[in-house]
Amino acid sequence: MRVDLILELLDIPGQLVNILSPISGFGANLVTVIHRRDDKNDDGMIPVQITLEGEQESLIQCIDKLKEMKVTILEINGVVSKEKIRTILIGHVIDTDIRNTLDRINKLKEAFIVNLEIKLSDENESSAMLVIETDYGMKDIVFSKIQEIANEKSLLVVNEV
Amino acid sequence: MRICLIGFGAVGQGVVKAISLKKRDIKNKFNMDLKVVGVSDSSGSAINPGGLDEDLLLDIKSKTSKVSNYPKYGNSAIQGIGLLDNIDYDCLIEATPTNIETGEPAKSLTLKAFKDKKDVVTSNKGHLALFYNEIINKSKENNVKFKFEASVGGAMPIINFSKKTLASSKIESIIGILNGTTNFILSRMTSEGSSYKNTLEESQVLGIAETDPSQDVEGIDAACKTVILANSILGIDCVYDDIEIKGISNITSEAIELAKKEGYLIKLIAEVSKDNLKVAPRLVKKNSPYAVEGTLNMATLKTDLADDVTVIGKGAGSLETASAILTDLINIGKLKN
Ligand SMILES: NC(=O)c1ccc[n+]([C@@H]2O[C@H](COP(=O)([O-])OP(=O)(O)OC[C@H]3O[C@@H](n4cnc5c(N)ncnc54)[C@H](OP(=O)(O)O)[C@@H]3O)[C@@H](O)[C@H]2O)c1
Repeated sequence: MRVDLILELLDIPGQLVNILSPISGFGANLVTVIHRRDDKNDDGMIPVQITLEGEQESLIQCIDKLKEMKVTILEINGVVSKEKIRTILIGHVIDTDIRNTLDRINKLKEAFIVNLEIKLSDENESSAMLVIETDYGMKDIVFSKIQEIANEKSLLVVNEV
Repeated sequence: MRICLIGFGAVGQGVVKAISLKKRDIKNKFNMDLKVVGVSDSSGSAINPGGLDEDLLLDIKSKTSKVSNYPKYGNSAIQGIGLLDNIDYDCLIEATPTNIETGEPAKSLTLKAFKDKKDVVTSNKGHLALFYNEIINKSKENNVKFKFEASVGGAMPIINFSKKTLASSKIESIIGILNGTTNFILSRMTSEGSSYKNTLEESQVLGIAETDPSQDVEGIDAACKTVILANSILGIDCVYDDIEIKGISNITSEAIELAKKEGYLIKLIAEVSKDNLKVAPRLVKKNSPYAVEGTLNMATLKTDLADDVTVIGKGAGSLETASAILTDLINIGKLKN
């Protein structure tokens, strides 16, 4: 059987080989590779579409290994598995222990902050944009956790719809 | 159909103007005679069982600001609820100011009309946000019609649209922009890069924001509409205090800039669903149905059969709001014919 995966990789030579060699021993064959360079994002990452062929067992082992290596799998057989969600925090974002805010979000299972940008406004107040990668379907849970932290620290949250 | 109109401000005058413009068409299309027999503002009233002249009503109000100055039929002693005992009418159009503390005078006017077995159309949302169930139950007990399309989104069709046009589908949630003033402010902050304070002042000069803008910018107006949609479309039994409300007064131009860089806009969004009843500033994608500009309102209804359906329209304005009131009147008239 076959599995189609869309991975997110840094667009520099050798990236694909780096992630494929550890899975080569599981008995699955690489059938196609498409680098979608037109969709490169600001961080230099591109979606890479691959198709693997092999026994079901081997394919599962391959996917598990990729996850273990923290490779971002955007889609499995056309089903979206990761998504990026965005939120803005406004208020005393820095003074209310920003490290602690970030750590608590990162501590959530299957959520981590992939980008943070802060702009200062008046009187020590600031606005911070957080881009968070989560497992598909986890959005509401992550947002409610952020809301909880924000309530505690009197920050205004602007979550994505 | 004999109409009694209480509240003769922007909306009330729009209604009279719309009747003047449309009464011949309505007669031809629906065989309904619309006749305004009584009008009240805060100063008094004008009463004529034979029908008041629409253009004269508008002229007197704009020149003297008091409807009681209407020649021959003006009356400064009868006002508001008093009018209802001094006239025979079929339908009350109630367009007094929204009051989110007591719901008055709308609540008393409405219940009095029901008791007298009269139908009611309103653009008001205060009494509905506070006492939705009580008012609906009273209309049923008295076997009268009660319609309030104009109270949410002005001219944007949503309540009748959900009940009639989407009758086959179950509506699971509604997410929308239900306040035009805040949408204008946020749209301007985005296009001009200006601060909240300056943009609010500019909106006040343009007459888009009120001198006391709190009902709009603190999300109170949108929350009232959230209650109305939750009860009337999703069947969620709730009142104003059940809504979680955050306004836009703390939104910074920096936040808007950060959003823009990621391809997003900040909008004041009302969310109506079983799990969420809230009004808050949210991020929406550029080019998504939520990206409407200026004072426009919009709502996306998530349904089981029809999937997502989005409506967009003018959320305020004298004639625009009157259009929804007139549609409610026509629908009541059709039921009676
Ligand atoms: N404006 C819009 O675009 C819009 C859109 C949708 C819904 N609405 C809702 O429609 C309603 C009317 O809005 P509006 O913009 O027309 O308000 P408005 O311009 O302030 O007019 C209110 C009218 O009610 C009269 N009034 C006040 N207290 C009264 C009382 N106790 N008895 C009789 N009349 C009384 C006022 O009298 P005076 O003229 O003597 O002051 C005025 O004529 C509000 O509930 C509002 O939330 C408005």
